[in-house]
Amino acid sequence: MAQQAVKTLRQVKPLLSLDQGQARSRVLNLYKAWYRQLPYIVHKYDIPKSIGDCKNKLREEFLKHKDLTDVRVIDMLVIKGQMELKETVNIWKQKGHIMTFFKDTEEPKPTDFLSKFLTNTN
Amino acid sequence: MASILRQLTRTIRSPIVQNRVVASSNGLRFKTTAPAEPKEETRPTVRKFDPAQREQLKDFGQYVAECMPKYVQKVQLTAGDELEVLIAPDGIVPILQFLKDHHNCQFTNLTDIAGMDVPSRQFRFEIIYNMLSVRFNSRIRVKTYTDELTPIDSCNDVYKAANWYEREIWDMYGVFFANHPDLRRILTDYGFEGHPFRRDFPLTGYVEVRYDDEKKRVVIEPLELAQEFRKFELAAPWEQFPNFRNAPAASEEIPIKDEEK
Amino acid sequence: MSKVSKLTTGITGLVVNQHPHHTLGVLYGKILRTLQKMPESAAYRKYTEQVINERASVLKGTACVETVEKSIGCGQIEEVIVQAENELILARKMLTWKPWEPLTKEAPATQWIWPPAKH
Repeated sequence: MAQQAVKTLRQVKPLLSLDQGQARSRVLNLYKAWYRQLPYIVHKYDIPKSIGDCKNKLREEFLKHKDLTDVRVIDMLVIKGQMELKETVNIWKQKGHIMTFFKDTEEPKPTDFLSKFLTNTN
Repeated sequence: MASILRQLTRTIRSPIVQNRVVASSNGLRFKTTAPAEPKEETRPTVRKFDPAQREQLKDFGQYVAECMPKYVQKVQLTAGDELEVLIAPDGIVPILQFLKDHHNCQFTNLTDIAGMDVPSRQFRFEIIYNMLSVRFNSRIRVKTYTDELTPIDSCNDVYKAANWYEREIWDMYGVFFANHPDLRRILTDYGFEGHPFRRDFPLTGYVEVRYDDEKKRVVIEPLELAQEFRKFELAAPWEQFPNFRNAPAASEEIPIKDEEK
Repeated sequence: MSKVSKLTTGITGLVVNQHPHHTLGVLYGKILRTLQKMPESAAYRKYTEQVINERASVLKGTACVETVEKSIGCGQIEEVIVQAENELILARKMLTWKPWEPLTKEAPATQWIWPPAKH
């Protein structure tokens, strides 16, 4: 049954979802799950960010992949996202891991001539 | 009669075929003429094989292929005396269950699951299952293939040992195992991105981790290397030994569709 | 059975079976009945029936457990029972897998070539 659904193009084994609709609902579910957990994450990890910052970051992370169309690629990302969520909610991660999403220690790369010259990069 | 045959075969190391010789005493597949002796190996650096054991492994390979023709694509002997069964990815659970539970197999111990990445192939990953039969003191290797997005059935229901091995493959290669009860990372750090054993994963990784004194915590940043360390070796390792390109094949195929039965 | 021949199998988790002939008889009957549902030509059915029939005939031949163990030559009678249980589970699963059918899918042409530089 699963295989008949994708027979039209190339016969592949589905990861989780059989069509775009299912994949979409999985993505939305994941988004909602993260969204609901955000206050607890901010509180428990004691990160110097507000809930609003986290919501923006969450949105940004999801929108990174907004152009994907392959159902299996979406599924794979959803699986990895669920894995991350579980790691976060169970406090398996530490503060540093959460703050990695915000990239607050990375200095922006120099773009114009003068700053490149001053930082001695080319 | 059966017991006499058993006495004869007892001295031989891998007695899987022991039962089958017994079975053949009912007149089925007992070869009266011994196969022609292969030439004696005299080169000092080459490991010597037991021809009798090779014959048994060949026989057993054909036996597996005959019993499970739906899944077995190829049977081969690698490195002289290691039996490999190459199967279609759908058949991984049936084959493993057969090898574990059948009277003449009893490979009750899953020694290891390994992965292999060959990016030039259509299905780039090979998943390799090593099994040991304690009863018959014999080993077998089952290989199958997949790619980044094709899930493969978890054999956790067959072998409990597979749980962590499959997590390891998932972590290192990113192969998804369907129906695995607890598929999550096992070796890499939380939040780690990428799969380190893939050929396209750089040797240096993508990120570096350091302790930041201002933030009072560990920070993870994209890798920045000084120019002299930035040389990446892009050629695949097997391309660097052109002398071995025409070396004799390490494995020899066992014909599985012959009329011998 | 007049007296217990042994107190322990010496294997953790495997207790001595008091009526091995009865247990094995039932198990072998079940296996053979499961095998009946497979096509005659299936190699798995053929070989399994051979093994089972041989063991069953040994079992029928004598009431002495030690003799049976010796002539089957596959461990203690309790281990033989475990093997039969495994085979029964396998045979029942085989009915749904139908492994005697022709090959489902050929591998891509270059899949099993090693070293991969050759193509």
